[in-house]
Amino acid sequence: MTDLNDIIDFDDLDANERERLERVHALLLQAGPPAELPPALAKPDAGAEPARVLHLPQRRQRVLLLAAATVAAVAFGGGYLAGHPATFTAERVVDMHAPNGGNALAVLKIAKRDGGGNWPMRISISGLPQQTQRTAYYELWLTRKGQPSESCGTFRVHGNTTTVNLSVPYTFKGISGWIVTAHQPGEAEPGSIVLTT
Amino acid sequence: MAVALSLRTIGPVTSDGELIQRAATGDRGAFEDLYRRYARPVFGLALRRLGDRGRAEDAVQETFASIWRSASSYKPDRGPGAPWLYAVARNAIVDRARTRTDTPTENLIEQADESPGPSDQAEQGWVSWRVHRALEELPEREREVVALAYWSEMSQSEVAEFLGLPLGTVKTRTRAALTHLATLLEGELE
Repeated sequence: MTDLNDIIDFDDLDANERERLERVHALLLQAGPPAELPPALAKPDAGAEPARVLHLPQRRQRVLLLAAATVAAVAFGGGYLAGHPATFTAERVVDMHAPNGGNALAVLKIAKRDGGGNWPMRISISGLPQQTQRTAYYELWLTRKGQPSESCGTFRVHGNTTTVNLSVPYTFKGISGWIVTAHQPGEAEPGSIVLTT
Repeated sequence: MAVALSLRTIGPVTSDGELIQRAATGDRGAFEDLYRRYARPVFGLALRRLGDRGRAEDAVQETFASIWRSASSYKPDRGPGAPWLYAVARNAIVDRARTRTDTPTENLIEQADESPGPSDQAEQGWVSWRVHRALEELPEREREVVALAYWSEMSQSEVAEFLGLPLGTVKTRTRAALTHLATLLEGELE
């Protein structure tokens, strides 16, 4: 349908308005149809309420420190080797931002649960400072009622944007969001929140 | 009269530039408004340039990550927000294209199309960007009739039958939509 006469009736319009609509008509034909936005991109933030500042009991902090150090060692050595497939089909996208309005930003994409019961995830992080110390790292957490409940993995950043693939078996029911914390060597766990949903 | 009423429903909206400036201060609502306005145009641009939905999705996310990160670099005295957003999107798409090891990266964003030349391609990209952005501002019922009238290959009689509306209503609604678009695309009509 390329003739404006076939689309609308405009016999009652003056010449100027008619010309205006003709030009809009031409622009629509020139532009072509807009792309359908995939469901994964429907919203910039599919997460729930923002996470709150963490205050963990000392005993749990020590457990977390040990667990985090173990996970960090594994992640540092081989996490990136998990592979970065060219495409990643996300079923859910969670937008993360710095809690204090800083420039850091992350996009967490969660794929369909695999046959083994794991949720493949891919997080792309921008704006976080690169670690200056070799054993420093960042950690992604699920939060429940504003508190970190399960670690989704650790990573280090490099360059402008770092993309890391992770996979977790946890249920996402009842979660309140995601956070990323920064861990410096010798610093008390769980570290400071640098990104939140 | 119907057109005038509909125009009021669109009403004065916060400009792109204002939203960018608010996003620069950490305003999540402003950022989400920008996302609502531009996610589809960015995806369309990325899809045309990259030719792959997964990579286009990544480019959209990287574009908005860049917008959030660099909103403070937007200078309203240098021009409106749409061209700045377009530039950010183009850069993100180029960056995404560069991650391909099997594709020459030099000027890829201009080479992906097979239209006559770089300037024509850039013009085409910009027109699509502006038109698709303007479509996002239309009420859903008007956007629907425009999409059906222009891109469904149905006649207006078939559109009317499809929507279960009188033909006159479909034509009136389409005309109202075009009038709205003319207002939203003032710059493009000059």
